[in-house]
Amino acid sequence: MGRKKKKQMKPWCWYCNRDFDDEKILIQHQKAKHFKCHICHKKLYTGPGLAIHCMQVHKETIDSVPNAIPGRTDIELEIYGMEGIPEKDMQERRRTLEQKSQDQKRKNQDDSDEDDDDDEPGPSAQTTVQPQASYAAPMAQPGMPVAGAPGLPHGGYQGMPPMMPGVPPMMHGIPPGMHGIPPGMIPMGGMMPPMMPGMPGIPPGMPPHMAPRPGMPHMTPATAGVIPNRPAAAAQPAVTKPLFPSAAQMGSGASSPADLQSASSQPSFPNMPQAQQGAPGIAASTAASSDPPKATFPAYTQPSVSASSSTSASNPSSSTVAKPPATVTSKPATLTTTSATSKLIHPDEDISLEEMRTQLPRYQRLVPRVGQAHASAAVATVGGMIPPQQGIPQQPGMRHPMHGQYGAPPQAMPGYMAGGMPPYGQGPMVPPYQGGPPLGMRPPVMSPAGRY
Amino acid sequence: MSLFGTNTGFGTGGTGVFGSTTTDSHNPMKDVEVSSPPDDSISCLAFSPPTLPGNFLIGGSWANDVRCWEVQDNGQTVPKAQQMHTGPVLDACWSDDGSKVFTASCDKTAKMWDLNSNQAMQIAQHDGPIKSIHWIKAPNYNCVMTGSWDKTLKFWDTRSSNPMMSLQMPERSYCADVVYPMAVVATAERGLIVYQLENQPSEFRRIDSPLKHQHRCVAIFKDKQNKPTGFALGSIEGRVAIHYINPPNPAKDNFTFKCHRSNGTNTTTPQDIYAVNAISFHPVHGTLATVGSDGRFSFWDKDARTKLKTSEQLDQPITACCFNNNGNIFAYASSYDWSKGHEYYNPQKKNYIFLRNAAEELKPRNKKW
Repeated sequence: MGRKKKKQMKPWCWYCNRDFDDEKILIQHQKAKHFKCHICHKKLYTGPGLAIHCMQVHKETIDSVPNAIPGRTDIELEIYGMEGIPEKDMQERRRTLEQKSQDQKRKNQDDSDEDDDDDEPGPSAQTTVQPQASYAAPMAQPGMPVAGAPGLPHGGYQGMPPMMPGVPPMMHGIPPGMHGIPPGMIPMGGMMPPMMPGMPGIPPGMPPHMAPRPGMPHMTPATAGVIPNRPAAAAQPAVTKPLFPSAAQMGSGASSPADLQSASSQPSFPNMPQAQQGAPGIAASTAASSDPPKATFPAYTQPSVSASSSTSASNPSSSTVAKPPATVTSKPATLTTTSATSKLIHPDEDISLEEMRTQLPRYQRLVPRVGQAHASAAVATVGGMIPPQQGIPQQPGMRHPMHGQYGAPPQAMPGYMAGGMPPYGQGPMVPPYQGGPPLGMRPPVMSPAGRY
Repeated sequence: MSLFGTNTGFGTGGTGVFGSTTTDSHNPMKDVEVSSPPDDSISCLAFSPPTLPGNFLIGGSWANDVRCWEVQDNGQTVPKAQQMHTGPVLDACWSDDGSKVFTASCDKTAKMWDLNSNQAMQIAQHDGPIKSIHWIKAPNYNCVMTGSWDKTLKFWDTRSSNPMMSLQMPERSYCADVVYPMAVVATAERGLIVYQLENQPSEFRRIDSPLKHQHRCVAIFKDKQNKPTGFALGSIEGRVAIHYINPPNPAKDNFTFKCHRSNGTNTTTPQDIYAVNAISFHPVHGTLATVGSDGRFSFWDKDARTKLKTSEQLDQPITACCFNNNGNIFAYASSYDWSKGHEYYNPQKKNYIFLRNAAEELKPRNKKW
């Protein structure tokens, strides 16, 4: 075997050349041995990740991967499990394994001759021996460090478990094609199912090796037939690529609109019942859209802000913080996160800060100023912008029409009414710019005006 | 306009101790204070283009005015002129030749201010406050682009009262940036649209937001060949997304990073997350600066994916920032941004604009990986 899918051979650690049964175990090994910070023992996910951590948190630089063999200490290579291993190293590995298995094969042939007798029925034992021996060879050839290959035919799982990753898929292909093969082979097939899981793509590698095997000519087509199934059936060991970014927006679960529901009942717009109705409308839609589904953490870890909506604590979102210090790269959620509750310093409503601010009467007052011929003339008055003292109740955010220019209707405006912006479809709104634009701009020409 | 001199100082606050470092939190970085700052929160800052000799800074504010200062090489700032709108000024920009300044306001108009004559005339009209304004200089046309809360993006030839073009957006425009031939607009409800400006402006692509929170600021960055290639988008949740338009490997090239948060490693208290108010890219190094509601600014190297510097905390949020044309000066404005609602608004509190030498601190870090 030894075609594509080389990655699917037994997982091995690039840093120290050790083998593992499972990529998960490999990754655990890497995290513990190679990506562990020597200062605080935090386990990172990759070499570069470790380097960054040490730099950011401890202000120390490291230039080599801990516990790595010489030549494999590059801290800049982003390797995670079996991903990221440079191609040439992969090939080297394959070659080394092949050589190893060549040696083993010879050993296998000797061993299997004797051991076969144990499981197989007597007469067939002889016949099975040969095929099995040659069969075992292909197994080893793809470079699978199947040390226990000789143990295969003897069934039982002697030596099997360690080989599991390598063996099953190969075996899997066998039964279907084995019709012609003496029953002695079947036991091997019988062992397969239990070993199935977790065998990624070895079968695809089989045919090429099978073909040359004189002992198993009939196997080839069968295996080939089986192979297509395997990849589909095989479940890739789930490797969550830690390398990626934007997905990392974890976090902050509860979006402000959710809080808006409660906020809207608060004194911010005490005289605007309609506004409140409008606001929740917006809140609902925004809540739907912006609430991340990822809530691994409870959306609300803090009580909703009471009192006024403008109090800072809103969005008690638990941020899944990958690395507490403000490192630049953010890694996806699957990382170990220190779930801290966090607080978004932003008012509850999901409108921009500027929109909120323009609702304040002092910023609205001057918009509809009629008769303001020259910009400079406005300086004195504008500059003075004193908090509205026109006897209008100073409710923050209250959109009480200042000069009656807005008429009553503004209340229906959802969420915001920025400085004189006409509420939708409100007829009585006086076009604010009538007097406004001092020079040369004919208001009637501005078609939007009509909407007012 | 008051002459400078009354309030300028180098870090001198009310402490009376010259050069005190601890109690003076309005300017903990000891940067140069711009004289005669506006009387209300500063919404935008922009330096003059390289076509104009010297450095001129304009700043729009919630006091309905836009002011212009000359920044001299010795660090002195001289107020030069001022114009008014009838509503808070939300954005301002320069024309490419440095002779005009375009200002956008909550009064739904945009004006063109001729600095030589000190006259301003209205050049644009929207149905809602205009949140962003940019000058576009294309080979075959010039125009002003205005983005408004009325959900439209309009393009204006300054000589006509009708827009050359009006594009409908899905939502209110919250921020925009233009680097010919690309324009990016981020809207409410996390909308994100990229426009291409060649020939005539047209919508190029709508992008699924890389951020999960309300968009607040956006800035386009360029590649080594000086062509716009992507943008940085900031949200209210202390996070910036670096997004390339056509990256070779989107999953690997695009990323987000957290910023403007408190309690870095302390996990016992809830972390305060602040909005990113503005992002600016250094014109030479390509590194970026972010300013936030937490009253800090930070410099970042997006290619090395590292933070270069974070400032001390000012006592007010930082609402705007910009670099001058050669990247030597970093200007940032300290004023209230409404992040804690109306209750924390103190009209009496002074607003500041600071200038900092940016030549050294924004050099890219050598890539470590």
